[in-house]
Amino acid sequence: MNRLPLEGVRVVDISRVFAMPYCGAYLADLGAEVIKIDTHYSAFVDTTRTLNGPYPNNEPTEDYWETAGTFQTLNRGKRSLTLDLRSEKGLETLKELVAISDIFLENFTPRVMRRFGLDYPNLKQVKPDLIMVSNTGYGHSGPWSNFGAMATALEPTHGTGAFMGYLEPDDTGNLSEGFIPNKIANSYTDFLASWTGQLAVLTSLYNRHNTGQGMWIDLAMYQVGASFMGEGILDYAFNGRRTRRLGNRHEYYSPHGCYQCIGQDNWVVLAVRDDYEWTTLCKLIGEKELIDNEQYHDPMVRYKFQDRIDEIINAWTYSRSSNQIMILLQENGIPCGQVLNAKEMLADNNFIDRGYFESIEHPISSGIGKRRYTSRGWSLSRNQISIKTPAPSLGEANEYVLGELLALPHEHVVALEEQGAIGETLEGAKIPEVISLERQSELGWIVDYDESR
Amino acid sequence: MGCRKLVASQMLEGVRVLEVGGGISAPFCGKLLADYGAEVIKIETPSTGDVTRSTGPFVKDDPNLETSIPFLYLNTNKSSLTLDIFSSMGKSILSNLLRSSDIVVHNLAPADLDSAGLAPESLQVVNPGLISTSITPFGLSGSYKDYEASDIIVYALSGLMYHSGDSDREPLRNVLNQSFYVGGINASVATMAALFQKLTDGQGQTVEVCLTECLASHLVQAVPYYEYMGAIKGRRPIRGSGFDELMPARDGYVVPSIQGSQPWSVIAGLIGSHELQDEKFATGAGRIEYGEQIKQLVIQGLSKWDRKPLFEASGEKRLVFGMAQDAGDLYQCPQLQSRGFFEEVNHPVAGTARYPGMGPRLSDYRFLGYTPAPLLGQHNNMFLKDELGYTAEEILDLYVSKII
Repeated sequence: MNRLPLEGVRVVDISRVFAMPYCGAYLADLGAEVIKIDTHYSAFVDTTRTLNGPYPNNEPTEDYWETAGTFQTLNRGKRSLTLDLRSEKGLETLKELVAISDIFLENFTPRVMRRFGLDYPNLKQVKPDLIMVSNTGYGHSGPWSNFGAMATALEPTHGTGAFMGYLEPDDTGNLSEGFIPNKIANSYTDFLASWTGQLAVLTSLYNRHNTGQGMWIDLAMYQVGASFMGEGILDYAFNGRRTRRLGNRHEYYSPHGCYQCIGQDNWVVLAVRDDYEWTTLCKLIGEKELIDNEQYHDPMVRYKFQDRIDEIINAWTYSRSSNQIMILLQENGIPCGQVLNAKEMLADNNFIDRGYFESIEHPISSGIGKRRYTSRGWSLSRNQISIKTPAPSLGEANEYVLGELLALPHEHVVALEEQGAIGETLEGAKIPEVISLERQSELGWIVDYDESR
Repeated sequence: MGCRKLVASQMLEGVRVLEVGGGISAPFCGKLLADYGAEVIKIETPSTGDVTRSTGPFVKDDPNLETSIPFLYLNTNKSSLTLDIFSSMGKSILSNLLRSSDIVVHNLAPADLDSAGLAPESLQVVNPGLISTSITPFGLSGSYKDYEASDIIVYALSGLMYHSGDSDREPLRNVLNQSFYVGGINASVATMAALFQKLTDGQGQTVEVCLTECLASHLVQAVPYYEYMGAIKGRRPIRGSGFDELMPARDGYVVPSIQGSQPWSVIAGLIGSHELQDEKFATGAGRIEYGEQIKQLVIQGLSKWDRKPLFEASGEKRLVFGMAQDAGDLYQCPQLQSRGFFEEVNHPVAGTARYPGMGPRLSDYRFLGYTPAPLLGQHNNMFLKDELGYTAEEILDLYVSKII
């Protein structure tokens, strides 16, 4: 096997939560050495260590900040250096590390970065060809630049709600384009920002190789989100159209939708793109009303009467399993898919065949055991891209970074520890009170749970 | 910062990309690489072109191969060569272009790769330095590789759809064919990793992109929820306390949020209902217990606000509210405009409009502007005559035999 694409590239990752940490994790998968700048003060620690969970068996232990599943996903393959950025010494050490690194990832507000003296102009002095990503809600310039942001609020702000929403009955009682926006949820914008950041970083590395120039990537989640709404925004520019909320229907394909199947919260989607698929579907369902209606060979007519067609399809799917329907329709050439939940994803044939979920065997001392994680949507034929190691425990690389990389004398490192600038145990830790799965189920936060696991 | 404008013309200067297929995923990948300065050549089916040319909405809702809005958006900064790659003459022209290219990105079905001359093994022979990026719904291997797909199918089988929409209704489809866009950007990421690796030894490789896996990678909460606790996350319950959900304001919808490290009094004060100030609502537990009551008070308070003033006031108070904006709001947004997000593009058939631009802003790059999406076969002569040296007669023959 070759050297991995990013072997020899060092990344300093001071970012928190989802978007940029995940970007750092992918860079680690690609072979970069990624050093997460952690802190051992609970008030400032990455909240995915302490607030999001989930903890193994929903039972957080004394070192709970090392065992959260979402944190593990987002920080796999990294090293951890704890630094107290409130101290001069901590900031100075960070700058020394940046000086011997290639990439710097951060997602603080512009105000905080300037206060730390960690803004791009300052860091460029330290490392002239630095590639730096500043990930914020609205960007480092413009009237909204000081506004904070969370994906749950950003997503509709960058326009997804203009195009997403259930159908609603019109005056005649037929379902038609809806007025109420809905959300993709799952921090959708964070992932768009993560992918966009990865592309900008890799392109900048390529450019730096050719020109010797660094790059500052001002990555505003809001603007990134809008860049994925391009065809919708351009439709307004040309035609003045502001929204299109077609529920699960489609402009050209009919029927096209999501249908209920046997079992709890079990669904299947299907799309009929042409007359062959329509005729085939009619035969499979075997309902005279569909087969005998000559008009239904016209997709426009089907679209017009889709409420009724959907009723018939629903009656057919309702007593069948989504997996059975998918296999039957796909064998007959009709696009169809199960709506998979996480449990079904982990048991899904295609994901399993392709080894999509990657397992990490965690150290015995962590108590996590062996767990599977989301990997990535692509592979490179010359490389074995994979998750290399679990997420780092707090400060596990303090010795390595300070002693080896920065070659600080041992007494210097000891002094940092004594001053509380570095540490390996979370100060002010308090084992979180978790809500039982039974209660979460009552509250509707989860659909179901396996007690036997 | 010397950050003047987006398009970083030089970053991928000299990189040639062939784009084969059509629709959204491969063209979006090509567009992103073109944004960074690569030369992108679209190989289109003679006479009908990229399937997106026939996909609406159209400019002035008037269908025409040159006025599809998704096509105009996805194909800026590219050239177009029509070529029947399934004919032997077409294959030989394609081979010539593959020899001078760094990257070929395509979204053909696995079963069509051989007949299109794009199977990985044959590409290695044509050009060992070529990076060949394949984008498919379910991958080149695996149980579903020959399954039929559209956006909603990919969305469902990725796992993401189950988690979108309301908990008491059916899962709800994502917007604007997002699975293809997410696949397209992941393809550009993986392709760039391969291009960077090529700098070390000049070797190309095959990049395989699987759309369902790109979207599945978003589920960094739902997957560990099951893997760590055996719990199945679902769609968001809408009967919460009204926070972090779309709630009605006077002129549309807003998203009130408790995030932002501000005390409850600031949040309650902004929304403006006096009763909401009650300390019993200030804790997470309180908001669970009094969820419905809080929601009603929030609705009351929001009924006196318009979206934008509330959003801006929340930002000033370091809260992180959101608002539902439509395409017109985005087009007129002062924040996006001040960051130079839009770029005027003049297309010979579609006319002039301001187009949405790149997601990130990059420092220190000279702006070159966007060229409009190419007309079908606009650059046939440029490639066939000027570059590959075909005579006018030979080119005419190619037209007559419908190879171009």
